[in-house]
Amino acid sequence: MQRKSSNLEIWVVLAVALFVIIVFPSLNAFTADGSWLHVSNFTITLYGKYLCYAMLAISVDLLWGYTGLLSLGQALFFSLGGYMMGMYLMRMIGDLGQYHQPIPDFLVFLGWSTLPTFWKPFASFPFALLTAVLLPGVLSGIFGYLAFRSRIRGVYFAILTQALTYAACLLFFRNSLLLGGNNGFTDFKFILGYDIREASTKRGLFIATGIALLLVYLLCKWLTKTKFGKVQRAIRDSENRVMFSGYSTANFKLFIFVLASLIASLAGVLYVPQVGIINPSEMSPDKSLEAVVWVSVGGRGTLIGPIIGAFAVNGMKSWATRSYPDMWLLLLGTMFILVTVFMPKGIVGLPAQLQGVYQKFTAKKMKAEPVSVTPDAAVQPVKPE
Amino acid sequence: MDQKRGLCVHSVSVQTRRGEQGRGPKTSAPFYKEPILKFLSILLCGILSVLAAQAQDESAVREKLAHAVLSGSADQPKLVGELADTGSKIVHDVLIAWTRDGVFIFETNNVRIPVLLEEQTDANGNARAIRIDDGKFLVDDQKKELHFAATDLNALDTDARLRTVIQQTLDSLALSDPDPDARENAILKLGNSHKLNNISVLQARLAKEKNPAVVRAINEAIAMLQLGDADPQVQITAAQQLAALKSIGSLDMLKALAENKSSPPAVVQAAKIATSRINEHVVAVNFFGTIFRGLSLGSILLIVTLGLAITFGLMGIINMAHGEMIAIGAYTTYVVQNLFGSGFAFSINLPFHFFGHPVGFGLSLPGMNATGWWYESYFLFALPLSFLMAALAGLALERSVIRFLYRRPLESLLATWGVSLVMQQLFRMVFGANNVQVSSPSWLLGHFTLNDVSMGYNRVFVIVFAVLIVIGTWMLLTKTPLGLLIRAVMQNRDMASCMGVRTARVNMMTFAFGSGLAGLAGAFLSQIGNVGPSLGQSYIVDSFMTVVVGGVGSIVGTVYAAVGIGTSDQVLQQVTGSPVTGKIVVLVCIILFLQWKPGGLFSIRSRSLD
Amino acid sequence: MNPPAKQFVLMLEGVNKTFDGFKAITDLNFYMDEGELRTIIGPNGAGKSTMMDIITGRTKPDTGKVEFGINTDLTSMNVPEINRLGIGRKFQTPSVYIHHTVFENLLLSLKGPRGVFNSLFARTTSEQRDRIEAVLKTIGLAAKADDLAGLLSHGQKQWLEIGMLLAQQPKLLLVDEPAAGMSDEETHKTGELLLSLEGKHSIIVIEHDMTFVRQIARKVTVLHQGHVLCEGTVDDVQNDERVKEVYLGRKKKN
Repeated sequence: MQRKSSNLEIWVVLAVALFVIIVFPSLNAFTADGSWLHVSNFTITLYGKYLCYAMLAISVDLLWGYTGLLSLGQALFFSLGGYMMGMYLMRMIGDLGQYHQPIPDFLVFLGWSTLPTFWKPFASFPFALLTAVLLPGVLSGIFGYLAFRSRIRGVYFAILTQALTYAACLLFFRNSLLLGGNNGFTDFKFILGYDIREASTKRGLFIATGIALLLVYLLCKWLTKTKFGKVQRAIRDSENRVMFSGYSTANFKLFIFVLASLIASLAGVLYVPQVGIINPSEMSPDKSLEAVVWVSVGGRGTLIGPIIGAFAVNGMKSWATRSYPDMWLLLLGTMFILVTVFMPKGIVGLPAQLQGVYQKFTAKKMKAEPVSVTPDAAVQPVKPE
Repeated sequence: MDQKRGLCVHSVSVQTRRGEQGRGPKTSAPFYKEPILKFLSILLCGILSVLAAQAQDESAVREKLAHAVLSGSADQPKLVGELADTGSKIVHDVLIAWTRDGVFIFETNNVRIPVLLEEQTDANGNARAIRIDDGKFLVDDQKKELHFAATDLNALDTDARLRTVIQQTLDSLALSDPDPDARENAILKLGNSHKLNNISVLQARLAKEKNPAVVRAINEAIAMLQLGDADPQVQITAAQQLAALKSIGSLDMLKALAENKSSPPAVVQAAKIATSRINEHVVAVNFFGTIFRGLSLGSILLIVTLGLAITFGLMGIINMAHGEMIAIGAYTTYVVQNLFGSGFAFSINLPFHFFGHPVGFGLSLPGMNATGWWYESYFLFALPLSFLMAALAGLALERSVIRFLYRRPLESLLATWGVSLVMQQLFRMVFGANNVQVSSPSWLLGHFTLNDVSMGYNRVFVIVFAVLIVIGTWMLLTKTPLGLLIRAVMQNRDMASCMGVRTARVNMMTFAFGSGLAGLAGAFLSQIGNVGPSLGQSYIVDSFMTVVVGGVGSIVGTVYAAVGIGTSDQVLQQVTGSPVTGKIVVLVCIILFLQWKPGGLFSIRSRSLD
Repeated sequence: MNPPAKQFVLMLEGVNKTFDGFKAITDLNFYMDEGELRTIIGPNGAGKSTMMDIITGRTKPDTGKVEFGINTDLTSMNVPEINRLGIGRKFQTPSVYIHHTVFENLLLSLKGPRGVFNSLFARTTSEQRDRIEAVLKTIGLAAKADDLAGLLSHGQKQWLEIGMLLAQQPKLLLVDEPAAGMSDEETHKTGELLLSLEGKHSIIVIEHDMTFVRQIARKVTVLHQGHVLCEGTVDDVQNDERVKEVYLGRKKKN
């Protein structure tokens, strides 16, 4: 809210981003394995994954925290981007697959000997990127147009987006879609001519993801400061007032929904080459909800919150799934219940919340002093006609 | 999809159960080879009811049988033929043994005793002999059981004429089986035999038969046999008869006849007409079968959704853990079943150590090892218990989490999702990650056929129960003081509170009730599908959609939506040929439907702004 | 009610609206002059709010004509479009953007382009600032311009919402129970505020509080069971037998 603190936030983010984009990969490249400064290839890939998750979380927050639209479909757009990238990477395997055929292995397995037509243009990287923009964009555009036109909002929007994701998930599980069925795409070899398993390629992807996240952050920061951003938050707080002020809220929501789907898709595009696999389970309803958890834990309605949340929750997940594999879901579930019920503003809002608790505590101590009742608090009874 | 898979499993289990029943009473004559055994088990399904009648006149039948076996060759065919009316299994067994040279004559002191040899042989390859006249083992003077090898005894001969008689007797024997289903099966077999001389056997039975279903089967079988008649006129009449009977079983025969180039044109014409009439019937049968399955699917969806209609529709709470309430119901059924059986135990080791000792907890409940009808009745106990357990879980959930979130519906969605994760993991820890087996009580197995549409008892049961639950819920909400309070609190929480209604308690009760309904749904689901930790997940999206389509807060709307979605899901599965495509089409249709009616079928219009 | 000869700012003719069999509005005829301040009263369920909904496009009438100014048919338009024609509406419960400052609340309401892309690149001009300052003075919230609207008192929120309507510079203002939940003093100030707007805007006020109605009313329309029962001055209306019957239920006809 306050302009000064928001400027401070930008400087902190820029500093951290600089560190992440330059120092981190340098430590990986220029320090010796075993040195305490060394950042392993594994860590680079892991953190690259988190950066993608942070981007996905921002897309959730842009809708939920800023516009009051809880979308449980962000995992779908994330996966669509991932699949488009995956198709490009599958083409780049060439005939190095298990069957040594010029088409992807799973197609050989399904009895294909030539490439299906819609696969052909995916050998081009720009084309794959274009589809990664168009497909989620068009899908979110159509769905959003229909949903917002009939004034579907709140929990209904959440349920419908979840249903959409579920339907897509079922669809992608089918082999006849020719997108790998439930195994999806994996065993990638090359990206833009570079060997995808090389440490330098991994570093490159990491840097690209870091820059993309920074750009997305700055874009959203700018957006929330424009009049558009103000309308957006006004819609969250009182959509009717906005409508009765002459704004076609459906258009505003559609714009932000499409934009968020594109951000999610971008995250998916960067995610797949780093993780090395994409399959339909990425778009299961649970994945969308997980992204909502990150936002909720970090603090919704802020842009730094989703990033913090994505790193915090996923860092914990990586640790817990290794140390206590059985307990991870219990931990995640419990944490989420507690955060939702007791920490609605998340980690970012925690200091203010603690301050409030402290003030209440001290106020109780000073109970002896009479507290002056504010005149506003006394609501007059409604007079009879 | 899970449901579908479960249903297939179920139909298989019907088969095996039937098999067991058929095999059970066979211990008295266990000496036939495997193929016969199979044949028997199919033919004699439902024999349990037969046993009582058998005991009474068994000795008389055995005497007649022994007499026929021993009599001279002149009147033997006649005597054997007379056995046809007994409908006795022993006669059947012995006659079959006879045709396989398995009936032996034991001669001692000029007394000829007809015997069968037991299948089980001793170390020397000898077997005990069973007397045909009284069913006891053959003993010597010292009451010692005698053992023979087949070569020790003279096998009773048969000639061609006798064999024919025996075969005919066997056929009509099956026709006089006390069980109508067995009779129908036998008749069907004769109808498919292409042997014109079987017509007389069937006609003989027709005169005596009283069961209308069997009479119909006999007419059908006769007409099927007559299709093979040399006289075209008979063939045409038979074809017309089959068309009138809408005989699905004769479809192949009629097609063959229509395509037979040597048939007269009039016969071909008649066969073609009959084929098309029967095909129409098949389409109708498939259609109604689909509708019936759709209805039963809709009923399950309805029970699941009704709970949701209360917690979501009335209370405005998005309970993502509703699916886990279903799982609680299903697992309760599983535990109750085990308690009636061999008991239930689990133990969990936590990944911590307390002063070097592993920490964990567990539970072991002894079972009652019940059998028979007592075991079968477990489901009746499981139903109320699954309601209760889910309701208790709902109560705990409401008190611990949801009461903080009444004014934050979106956040109730998120917090309850956390609950759902925790519960799924707990299920995994207690019951294992794999599906557990819940066997259906036998009175829910099997099916009956109405106009060629086969209806499973479990599905009928679910439909009936869903109707009862809807009526019960409706009564509770509209006719009881609690219902009045519930509706008051749901419409205006603050005002109800001002009027002295204890809203906290009403919320608690309502939520518990809604969760309990989910538990009930779980108990039913355990009967038709697999029970696993993520059981609820496959229903949660569907059921939320159902509530939204029905109109939030409207019980009537929920009923319509559940039945509608359930049925169209089935129909679309049939039409598109794939469960997944069907589901996607339904989802897309729902999204489009909400364009037309954003408030659902029965929207509750509110004057308030938000 | 004779058919009008002159041009009205708002005209409803033969309007009907049914909700699930409940007749909310039956054969409603309502005409309003340019610059008029009209008060509408009526018992609960008389159709006052539904009438507002129909004018603002929130509800579509089953039958009838709703026209604004010179032959502008409102029935085919949606809420934002009708608002952009110059019809502002204030709700019964104050609806302001609680996470925006008072200034921003007014900024978002200022008359001007409403498009998505315009809003992306819009800059606040000094002219706009002046207009906001003027509105702030009118509603007496100049000192609170940088406070979050959520921190205002109930009465101040009501005024802010009226201010947001003024910023829209509407031709027609619909005000639903502006005095609800206000202290006597606040109510009086609200009345004065509305009176000061008379002539500049056409205003329809729905109100229950008869003291308030007496303060502001010129012409009063009584709605009952979805149609106009009578129209006239406050005294006329209060002495009307039918109105007494409706409010006090003395003589029961059916």
